[in-house]
Amino acid sequence: MRGPTTITPVPGRTDEMILNMGPQHPATHGVLKVVLGLDGERITRAVPHIGFLHRNHEKIEEARTYIQIITYTDRMDYVSGLQNELPFILAVEDLLGVEVPKRAQYIRVIFFELYRIASHLVWLGTGMLDLGAITPFLYTFRDREKILEIAEKTAGARMLPNYFTFGGVRRDVHPEFFKDVAAFLDFFESRLPDYRALVLDSPVFQARAVGVGVLPKERAIARGASGPVLRASGVAYDVRKAEPYDAYPELEFEVPTRPEGDVYARFWVRFREMEESVKIIRQALEKVPKTGPYKGKVPPRIKPKPGARYRAVEISRGHLGAYVVSDGSEYPLRIKHRSPSFANLQLIPDLFVGARFADAIAILSSLDPVFGEVDR
Amino acid sequence: MSLFAEVWEAVKAVATGLETVHKRVRQPPATEFYPYKKPEIPPVSVQFLALIQNEDGSDRCVACLQCERVCPSQVITIERKRNPEGKGFVLERFDLDFVNCMYCANCVEACPVSAIVTVGAFEHAVYDVNLLKADKAYLDHLGREAKIWYSPKFGVEMRTPEGKIVKAPPEMQPGGLAELLKEAEGGEGA
Repeated sequence: MRGPTTITPVPGRTDEMILNMGPQHPATHGVLKVVLGLDGERITRAVPHIGFLHRNHEKIEEARTYIQIITYTDRMDYVSGLQNELPFILAVEDLLGVEVPKRAQYIRVIFFELYRIASHLVWLGTGMLDLGAITPFLYTFRDREKILEIAEKTAGARMLPNYFTFGGVRRDVHPEFFKDVAAFLDFFESRLPDYRALVLDSPVFQARAVGVGVLPKERAIARGASGPVLRASGVAYDVRKAEPYDAYPELEFEVPTRPEGDVYARFWVRFREMEESVKIIRQALEKVPKTGPYKGKVPPRIKPKPGARYRAVEISRGHLGAYVVSDGSEYPLRIKHRSPSFANLQLIPDLFVGARFADAIAILSSLDPVFGEVDR
Repeated sequence: MSLFAEVWEAVKAVATGLETVHKRVRQPPATEFYPYKKPEIPPVSVQFLALIQNEDGSDRCVACLQCERVCPSQVITIERKRNPEGKGFVLERFDLDFVNCMYCANCVEACPVSAIVTVGAFEHAVYDVNLLKADKAYLDHLGREAKIWYSPKFGVEMRTPEGKIVKAPPEMQPGGLAELLKEAEGGEGA
């Protein structure tokens, strides 16, 4: 069903105020505009407007060779940059029939989970900033900096490294990489109780979050929500478990879920995910072969067989997929990215209507959209 | 819950927060005092690109056009002519538009002779956008200024004070771990 594209005042109804939230509103984490109808504090209608950051990714990628496209995929969800490269690479690897060495798979998993922690730290800091708490923001960005420094030493950039490639990773890791990661995990685990005390266990935060923006399970599935938003509504769906890729089948981890579906549950699920990521990286550090090939045999000119392939991964925000259609030439015929933030953002009318205006900010930050990926 | 109990809960919450913050107050600052203390940039980090010349001042670049072909934003422009003495080509023009560059370092990966490399120079804010459209002379200059750089073929290389180009020790090389482990084993064996 197509919803209304904008809000017009109802003739004769003077108690409803129409308010534009965004696109320059700091709490929208980018360029989202929501037109709200307000009856006092209560939201009566909400229409989100997206597309302010549209850069025509999918069309540009049709005019690029496969190796060039990896650079563009980074720029979708720029907060967890490295994770976006994987679905496209997995799909092309399937079409090419390339074998990925075990060591490369583990290095990918370590980076993947490091960026999940980095992305969740940004969400935790900015999410609490939206609710009026400044201290967590300063703490989380300091910790995230350590991850980015580790990534820069090996991958060559902090946010958009362009590090994964067909058949493995682009270069071998820095000699201190495994040591650095282990040291970071020890440091980070000593910080987690702080975040728990400042955020999850704080009655002030709970008063803002518990019972706010409740998303029923059926509604979440119907709207195609994924990632922590879906898991906070009690559905234990995780691509890492459902369609395992890379070294995930060999690693043990839980999929944290919570049945309530409110803002608190979404915060709680993301928080637990950071703890699970620490567990995954620790196992991967034990199992990764310290030496060996980091890249499989790949033909010098990437020309996949004609065909189509869809592969998905679980990035920080949910189910990110890439559908690659190849006609056997150097250029792909069509690429479609399925992005989780876009689907999660469809929940805005469901969650906003009936909530208070101040709670709308809390709900939006609990959805954690990144607009580079929503608009592509 | 009575009003008094609610107020007491809030006061306790604020006190817990303050206690958590207080534990960390005496830590050294996490920020760097940038203009006075320069950060150390790892050589693999893509800050800027440069052309490296051989020790005798000749171009490493053989004008094979691989970097031009692999560039996703098509910012490299190369003109070449046949080498009058001997085989191959010589460069006539090598332009790199740093304004539109995406800093993906695909060109560095593609280079078969390690001519275009990543260097650690990062202070390139300028007032005129045209100053970021580099020609060969500027890229050569960046290469001569560089003390340490990275390219996949030769790994991390350094320039000694005498102007010699040497390979960096394995502690700085990507993949130097294998060599270090072998050395450690050999040391134990002896």
